Amino acid sequence: MKRRLLLSALAVMLAAGLLMTGGYAASNDAVAYAAEATQNEDIPIGSSNEVMMVGVVEPTIMSVTMPTYVPFHISRSVQGENKVISPRITVTNNSSIPVSLDVVYTSVDLSRLQGTTWSNGPYIGENQVAVGFQPETLLNQMPTTLDQTKWLLENTAQDINIMTLGAYDSSAMYVVGTLGAAVPENYSFSVVPTFVVRQA
Amino acid sequence: MREIAIYFACVMRYNDAYSKAIILYGIGVQDMKTDAKKIGMRWLLPVGAAILLLAAGLYFFPARGPSDSLELDNNATMGILPGIDLAQRQAELQQQLDESMIAFSINTSPVFATGGSEGNLMLENPANNAKLLVVEIYMDETEELLYQSKALPVGSYIENVRLDKVLEPGEYAATAYFKGYREDDHSYIGQAGAAVTIYVLS
Repeated sequence: MKRRLLLSALAVMLAAGLLMTGGYAASNDAVAYAAEATQNEDIPIGSSNEVMMVGVVEPTIMSVTMPTYVPFHISRSVQGENKVISPRITVTNNSSIPVSLDVVYTSVDLSRLQGTTWSNGPYIGENQVAVGFQPETLLNQMPTTLDQTKWLLENTAQDINIMTLGAYDSSAMYVVGTLGAAVPENYSFSVVPTFVVRQA
Repeated sequence: MREIAIYFACVMRYNDAYSKAIILYGIGVQDMKTDAKKIGMRWLLPVGAAILLLAAGLYFFPARGPSDSLELDNNATMGILPGIDLAQRQAELQQQLDESMIAFSINTSPVFATGGSEGNLMLENPANNAKLLVVEIYMDETEELLYQSKALPVGSYIENVRLDKVLEPGEYAATAYFKGYREDDHSYIGQAGAAVTIYVLS
């Protein structure tokens, strides 16, 4: 009786052992398959082998925060060369690529300022107005001079680079300008630059 | 009659009418004395005189002012004249500018398998934008409208689009204009552009 019990226990142990060795072998096969999939294999010294590399080109996403409308006031009573009262215009590059900010067109309407014309530079006549952009040199301070001003051109296609921003960078600028002594006061006029940001 | 006399004394000043009013008041007093005797109300005489003096005082005193006869202009508004304070003007302009700021994202080189298939333009109106965006793409060379979206709500994106115009295979320089609109009344704020290069493969 005891001998029978001992034999049956041995049979059970043998069956369990067979199952365990089978599972181990199966797991080794899986590892071998994975190794084959990644093409890891031994190469004899002095021989060559081809390895396929698959790359995906990620799209370049440009992400920017910039103004769509720039209000400003211009007055002869403002002290200094620059006669414009301007807000601080901040442009932020939220992407990982450098970008440049350009003005591609400037729509100018001086119809309410009788006899007034536009000037494309700092040298103005008595009846002329000139406006442009200037990068911020002193933190939170409007420029008082007209140095380094990028002057806007009237109602014509243009490609004026205003600033360049590195990855995740931001920068500030101001509207600057001047006007002649005979330009009538208390009337508004509009200057609408079209900003275009592009990959630098 | 007494009441009439007091009334005239109150409204006339510095002229003959004033004197006449006083005379009228005197007549009124005479009448009053007669009436008072009749109805037994003598105390009305000093009371009437006191009212007369009080009314005259109230009328003349404020007009002459405390010392120099200057009158305050009713049209004057208390405060600093608008436009004088440079910092205040700049703050107002800053507020307008901040409202006009827009944020956007776009794929700078979208690829279209064919001229009529969808491409990965990847437009985004970020959650911090607080305005609706409409995107229009124009070809730089011909200024032809290639694509126009409907309004993108805040915090949304469009990954793939089909162009409104079927393009031949090639490479096209174009500009995407992001037009900002207020969320509440859908009024137009302004636009900003982004240069892109469109690739059509076949």
